[in-house]
Amino acid sequence: MSLLELRDLNIFFKSASGPVPVVSHLSFPIRESQIFGLAGESGCGKSITALSIMGLLPAGAFLEGEILFKGRDLTQLDGEAKRRLRGNEISMVFQEPMTSLNPVLTVGYQIAEVLTTHKGMTKKDAMDQAVELLRSVKIPSPEARIKDYPHQLSGGMRQRVMIAMAISCNPSLLIADEPTTALDVTIQAQILELIQRLREERRMSILFITHDLGVIAENAARVAIMYAGSLMELADTEELFRNPLHPYTRGLLESIPKEKGTPLKPISGTVPRPEDLPEGCRYAGRCRESDRDCGKTEPDLLEISPNHFVRCSLVRT
Amino acid sequence: MELLRAVSLRKFFEVKKVLKGDSGFLKAVDGVDFSLAEDSVLALVGESGCGKSTVARLVLRLTEPTSGSVLFEGRDILGLDRRQLKAFRKSVQIVFQDPFASLNPRRTVYDTISEPLVIHNLVPRPEMKDAAVEILGRVGLGPEVLNRYPHEFSGGQRQRICIARALAVSPRVIVADEPLSALDVSIQAQIINLLQDLKKESRISFLFISHDLRVVQYFSDAVGVMYLGKIVEHAGTDELFEKPFHPYTEVLLASAPRIYPVETKKVHAAPLKGEVPSPLHIPPGCPFHPRCPKRFEPCDRVVPLLSESHGRLVSCHLWNPY
Repeated sequence: MSLLELRDLNIFFKSASGPVPVVSHLSFPIRESQIFGLAGESGCGKSITALSIMGLLPAGAFLEGEILFKGRDLTQLDGEAKRRLRGNEISMVFQEPMTSLNPVLTVGYQIAEVLTTHKGMTKKDAMDQAVELLRSVKIPSPEARIKDYPHQLSGGMRQRVMIAMAISCNPSLLIADEPTTALDVTIQAQILELIQRLREERRMSILFITHDLGVIAENAARVAIMYAGSLMELADTEELFRNPLHPYTRGLLESIPKEKGTPLKPISGTVPRPEDLPEGCRYAGRCRESDRDCGKTEPDLLEISPNHFVRCSLVRT
Repeated sequence: MELLRAVSLRKFFEVKKVLKGDSGFLKAVDGVDFSLAEDSVLALVGESGCGKSTVARLVLRLTEPTSGSVLFEGRDILGLDRRQLKAFRKSVQIVFQDPFASLNPRRTVYDTISEPLVIHNLVPRPEMKDAAVEILGRVGLGPEVLNRYPHEFSGGQRQRICIARALAVSPRVIVADEPLSALDVSIQAQIINLLQDLKKESRISFLFISHDLRVVQYFSDAVGVMYLGKIVEHAGTDELFEKPFHPYTEVLLASAPRIYPVETKKVHAAPLKGEVPSPLHIPPGCPFHPRCPKRFEPCDRVVPLLSESHGRLVSCHLWNPY
């Protein structure tokens, strides 16, 4: 059963010359206890999608479409209902733990605050629970660490604190927006192992947002590839990496160095800006395979083989 | 032929006590030796804080070392006077990580590219514009960009401008400090191809500093793996990736996520325990021993030396019994 389902989600930014679309016709379901990878380059709309699920769109942005969470449409909730949901049922881990933690409060206080707010715990119980949470994210000597301020912890430890805070109310959906991008590889490996373990233990679904296809390949069960605000390809991880069908997905994979000596085949040009998206397929201008028709109408996302969806008029069943 | 050599380079920063903080000497670079040959790429890899960027700055004499020396074509750059240093700076250029921070936002591309040509008196004024156009052409930018400002460009284009600025003086060596990490993967590939072409055409040597092992494997000829200010393994790129000797190198290579887990099916090593210790408190013995899965009796008391084993340099008691 799907826990979260986006249905034809469109996000716009208001501007002097009318609304600018940053996410268009985005639809996908996330199943229970699944790690769903959302991948794409900077500016493709992956982070704003996460914020829209959290109900945290910045002022000046608005959306159309449905975000169904356990059957309820989140876009219809009022502020109070959204606030109850956030942190409780859906929570989020950001890329930069240093900027998302409050530097003048101890980490214990910050974790406990979530529990007193959402669970109505007393301060003392919440502090005890914070110690347990730090223990469950494998922070050594948690009794001492809850008295630390964020600057006293390393980047990896801060990210563990963020995760402890995010899982404090046992959410059913965790949104992780580039949670390991700021970390070194050996620390990244530790955090990924932690995320996998939490998913298994707590049967949490995880929306994992990243630009790193390696991280996706090793951790996600299903992958969506976004480009310029649009979903280009959606498939199970093994299928996607074994049989990438969209020219953009293939372009990304061919941009990654593999064998020494073989020249890389980079994608030429740059991503179009949202205010001047081309007619037709958004990728046509950079696509090696595009023909004249690609610039005419935007292709639909079609199921090419079972559970493998592609938005490209050149890919047929 | 050898172009650049680092000899027992050390850089310690004095840390003064602030409030309850620590004090002492932070050993950013602690005895690093390497040699960069003509027409080759030496990569320095390691995690943040291992000292790789400090090495880059020392090599260019942007930071003065605490001890040790840097030889360029056999001459110690620390002994150069102003005039000689200027000539050295013409031979060794740098490209930084962040193309947003390393271009002056108030200067046009033409100003940026022509400045080194003026400083080193390389091109007569009337020909300056043609020279700038020619240099930009080598990094794949057209003459229409000359009068534009950095904010008008994307990250990849800005990095091309930074590379063009380094190329302007026809250097022998380019020190590239994480030149790709601020860029998206499709743009990274464009820049790697550009660097590869430049290397072929102009026989420039690179000291390539990176944490991205895939790029290092693809682009470099030799690799120095750094941990807490020291090189722990130094080997040819192919040999190193084929069989890492030092346990740290081994874990580092195993930690990098692979794109094709289905095909490679390598056994994934358990993640390394713990974190890199503070360079203010480097552990006794082998600096890696608290995290090392293969440590044994001498590791916590005897500092291993970087010495030869099976045709490469490695500092580990497993490979060089003391």
